[in-house]
Amino acid sequence: MSSLADRLRGVIKSVPSGADPSGPRDECLDAAEILGGEWRDSRGQTFLVVDRKYAPGYRHGRVSIADCLPPEGGIWPRLELLTTCGANLSGSPREPERLAPQTKLLFLDLETTGLAGGAGTYAFLVGCGWFDGATFRLRQFFLSSFGAERALLESVAELAADTACVVTYNGKTFDLPLIETRFALQRMQTPFAGMPHVDMLHPARRLWREDDACRLTNLERTLCGHEREGDVPGFEIPSRYFHYVRSGDARGLDAVFEHNRLDIVSLAMLTARATQLLDEGAAAARTSREALGMGVLYERAGMVNEALDAFARAAKADLPASAPCASAARRSLGEGGKVGLYGNEIADEVIRGEALRAYAILCRRLRRYDAAAGAWQRVLDLRRCPPHIVREATEALAVHHEHRARDLQVARTFALQSLQLQATASRQQAVQHRLARLDRKLGSAAVIPDAPAPPLF
Amino acid sequence: MLPARPLDDPRGPLSVVERGRTDSAHDQALQSIVDRLTGGLPDRDDTPDGWVTAVRRLAPRAAEYAPFPEGVDDRLQQVLAARGIEQLYTHQAAAIEHALAQRSVVITTPTASGKTLCYNAPVLSAILGDPSARALYLFPTKALAQDQLAELHELSDQLSRRAELEIGVFTYDGDTPQDARRAIRGRAHIVLSNPDMLHSGILPHHPRWAKLFENLRYVVIDELHAYRGVFGSHLTNVLRRMRRICRHYGSNPTFICSSATIANPKELAEALVEQPFELVSDSGAPRGEKFFLFVNPPVVNRQLGIRRSYLAETRRIASEFLKRQLQLIVFAQSRLTTEILTTYLKDDFGGPPGTQDQIRGYRGGYLPQRRREIEKGLREGSVRAVVSTNALELGIDIGALDVCVMAGYPGTIASTWQRAGRAGRRSGRSAAVLVASSAPLDQFVVRNPSYFFDAPPEHALINPDNLHILVDHVKCAAFELPFTTTEQYGKHDVQEVLGILAESGFVHRKNEESQWQWTNESYPADAVSLRSISSDNFVVVDTTNGADVIGETSFTSGPPTLHEKAIYIIEGSLYQVEKLDFDGRKAYVRQIDCDYYTDAITYTKVTVLDTFDGGSFDSGLGIRDSGSGNASVPNPESLIPNPGKSHGEVHVSSRVVGFKKIKFYTNENVGSGELDLPEQQMHTTAYWLTVPTSVMAALPYAPDDRRDGVVGLSFAMRQVAQLLLMCDRQDIGISIGSGEQGDDTDLTRTGQPFDVAQGGPATLADEPRIFIYDNYPGGIGFSEPLFGMHDSLLARTRELIAGCECQHGCPTCVGPVGNTGPLAKNVALRILDLIAGAEPASPAVEVA
Repeated sequence: MSSLADRLRGVIKSVPSGADPSGPRDECLDAAEILGGEWRDSRGQTFLVVDRKYAPGYRHGRVSIADCLPPEGGIWPRLELLTTCGANLSGSPREPERLAPQTKLLFLDLETTGLAGGAGTYAFLVGCGWFDGATFRLRQFFLSSFGAERALLESVAELAADTACVVTYNGKTFDLPLIETRFALQRMQTPFAGMPHVDMLHPARRLWREDDACRLTNLERTLCGHEREGDVPGFEIPSRYFHYVRSGDARGLDAVFEHNRLDIVSLAMLTARATQLLDEGAAAARTSREALGMGVLYERAGMVNEALDAFARAAKADLPASAPCASAARRSLGEGGKVGLYGNEIADEVIRGEALRAYAILCRRLRRYDAAAGAWQRVLDLRRCPPHIVREATEALAVHHEHRARDLQVARTFALQSLQLQATASRQQAVQHRLARLDRKLGSAAVIPDAPAPPLF
Repeated sequence: MLPARPLDDPRGPLSVVERGRTDSAHDQALQSIVDRLTGGLPDRDDTPDGWVTAVRRLAPRAAEYAPFPEGVDDRLQQVLAARGIEQLYTHQAAAIEHALAQRSVVITTPTASGKTLCYNAPVLSAILGDPSARALYLFPTKALAQDQLAELHELSDQLSRRAELEIGVFTYDGDTPQDARRAIRGRAHIVLSNPDMLHSGILPHHPRWAKLFENLRYVVIDELHAYRGVFGSHLTNVLRRMRRICRHYGSNPTFICSSATIANPKELAEALVEQPFELVSDSGAPRGEKFFLFVNPPVVNRQLGIRRSYLAETRRIASEFLKRQLQLIVFAQSRLTTEILTTYLKDDFGGPPGTQDQIRGYRGGYLPQRRREIEKGLREGSVRAVVSTNALELGIDIGALDVCVMAGYPGTIASTWQRAGRAGRRSGRSAAVLVASSAPLDQFVVRNPSYFFDAPPEHALINPDNLHILVDHVKCAAFELPFTTTEQYGKHDVQEVLGILAESGFVHRKNEESQWQWTNESYPADAVSLRSISSDNFVVVDTTNGADVIGETSFTSGPPTLHEKAIYIIEGSLYQVEKLDFDGRKAYVRQIDCDYYTDAITYTKVTVLDTFDGGSFDSGLGIRDSGSGNASVPNPESLIPNPGKSHGEVHVSSRVVGFKKIKFYTNENVGSGELDLPEQQMHTTAYWLTVPTSVMAALPYAPDDRRDGVVGLSFAMRQVAQLLLMCDRQDIGISIGSGEQGDDTDLTRTGQPFDVAQGGPATLADEPRIFIYDNYPGGIGFSEPLFGMHDSLLARTRELIAGCECQHGCPTCVGPVGNTGPLAKNVALRILDLIAGAEPASPAVEVA
């Protein structure tokens, strides 16, 4: 052993270990057999393709594939409400991306060798799902050797060629940049550039916000009632792949492939649920959280009437704030069925407050000032509304009564009320300013007509 | 004595235009102070100004011009002409010609000689000729990139209008907002960045930068001399990685580098970039008249060899200039002395409380906003004096100052000139004053002015094949692009490196494949900091009113400066550290009012791990290429019964064990304290001198005095080693001991303890060793050259000690007498004589 090697071992702190034999432990273990796929040869390189079909009757908990099918030969109406729109920075209602009607939706999910991104992070498993008639099809491209990456990406590009829209979960920050880097590294055009994209993480947060970072498995549990068994934890995935790379032993990967498949099927179901909600309108919402989220999505798409309906629905007291959280439910069963009722009550009021606020602001934008004032007034009737919304309501009502309703005394009452609430110094100052002006107007004469109304904010 | 005005005054045409009416008043004020200092009018008995050891007048020089070389785009020439540049200085023309012909070039010219045009002209010409062309500029700091951005923008805007081509110029660094990054990647023709960002933000994401790397025509490296030692060794590896990626994308950029004056700019450029370079070193730029003075503070106690404090002397000289309304910069050696001098000058010139500060401190660790404010104040003149560490040595734009006063020799000729260049960037009269401290190197320089003025400046040394550095970058490179089984990287066998990395699972190669793949989840660039051992730092939290972060400091300097009860000084305000959260890397401080500062005492222990060469008095032919890998063949320990020189691999552990309280102004020791801080450890390389048993036995002195002699000898050797290696003080460390595992005879303390009896082991091994180690894990390439220079190291050390005027030792030779004992000087000389005498007795041993 040369001295360089010894010094290197000192620097790297490497201990030569026999843990990873360089050859497969068991000669007869073929990855294709273990993983249920077929080897595909392309350009002299070999990679593995795993195909699965999910019949209409396939279920995740309460939900079956048949429940999710898009209209024949097309895509769900209202899908465009869910697309990401990176260029929309102006704050104006955005133009929904136009989706070509006849082509397919591609549900994409990657398993990677790390979370950091960069040239050395590989997408070793590219999972793609799409509806084909009444069935859901799923194809996984597995990078069984690094040399096959180009061939593999070519196959992915081929599959993605007639895609109308790609659907991911957190793909805007993770999956798409990562696979685009892989295409760039192979000096290939990425098929996803400029392709309409639905990143379900963001609408899901609006519609079904969960604790614990709104993870897909949690949504799968609450929305579909599906409980995964023996799911491989995410942090284990790269090391299972590296183990395969070194040993050729694919047994640890079967669970990774299944994990990827479950994610894609759930993603499709989640997307279907969201578009169905948006298609059916506010009445379909089962929780006030859902209704509020729908309102926001409608408003972003410029569908103001639908948005107002949804906000109004969310503000009603007859809906639960959110679906009973599966983990809370489980906990409650374990501990004698006592769910924190008080906690839910607060959540209800918070969402109602937010819904009323959204309703009021949209009304004001539509110049329906009285409706706006009515909503703000209802905010003040809530018992446990977040203070920042209460303050916003009192300020808005002070403005409304000063400039619209022209009732200076009432305006003054609201201004005084907002002064009681905690606020930043500059806000406090603005309120003081308003009060001084109101006092001046009240003091000099109650009848001095306002000059043309100044802009409201 | 100097004439009141120089006889020749051929100021270039530029100076006439630039200099306003008031400048002549400035010139006169400056002249009169120089006259006073040099003996014109010594008006105070206690400060005999005769202690000026050198005055050099650097004559003004007229500009030398040359026409634009062929190939500079016409539109660029027109834009430059519109800005008054109708012809080039000769050095600019030469550099541009090389660059346009795709010959990599390094330019060494003084501050303010128009070096930026040397790279902007070929780069912009290339872009005008081919809009797909790209260039990457690397600056050692973000601030310098920002500085250049403003200038480049002006030029590129005018060009863009004229050429109807949008020339994108952007900085890309840690401060660039995430959402702007994609746009920059797409639109930038010229990317202004720094090595750290290239290392961790660009190279690992090269697929996103494909457009840049496919079309990379030029790489500009500014302030090349900044990349010495560790930083330079890292940069070489970053550039190796960049050139791998360029090859992948089919580009082969030309390099344009600029450097301050060092002895080996061409060699440094070639070592950093690993390809041939052309050198352009003759400046054609005009230069104003400049006086350069060396001041050695007078001896106030001949017996102890004590000189008047150089800080007090610096304060006095700075005051002279400040009184005459001249704007000045004072360079101090450390953050501590910067703060002390700032305090002194504020006391003298601070103005009434509440008024704007005219005297400011400046150093690393100040937050960016404070720094920008000070830079602006200097440019606008509202700041009259700034006291700075080397942080202002590089080309941050602070405008033209009148005077530069250096408190202590900056350590290298190159940085002394660089700092002096901060005064008189335009063509007026200016002055630079070097005030020597009692450190041996300072004393050597002021007593031998020709060493500074006439000798070639330093060589910059790097060791890119240091295994620690190399391995880190091989990991990064493997992450970026798989290594092939035939690929070379650096001087070591990279295939062997990859093989060992594979053992730990970082990379993997299948039997039949010709590539090493990265098989690790990590992002390796995140774990590698180019500037220090670790990217860790300590932040300083002021808890006086709430919790404000007021500063930061590097991991290694954390324990000695931020231990509990330490006084932390920032711009003259004193804070006491109340709690050091070592694991959380936070120091909680509270503002206090006190009349002392603190100085930490550090113990260092060295253990020999492997001897590469040595054990004989064989002459110094042993300089080998440390990167070749062959040099590391160790000698069996049994070959070293002979006394003398060795070099090899060592383990260094150091610990801050206590601190002293030192009173401001008087420097009295007014107290001390003990500390218990975690030990810091590293493997590095060292040179060592073994004092043989026979020599120790032959010393006619008591054991304590013998010990003092060895300590004193080590003190002097360190200074000479620094001079010979031309390195920074912190680049090397020193330790005394046997070098054996478990041995407890270590005598090393730094921080100049005033009390020998303060503790610590005091006995000496039978065969003590003096270690001079590279203060960086894995070593940075000093030990082997020092091994080769062993003879002159000992000879120079003897000269230093014997030539010193003191009686029993002083900080200039063997250390202050209170520190090393009354006989240290004599014993140290005796040891050197005995070793020299022993030399012929030991036959040379051939090293296998």
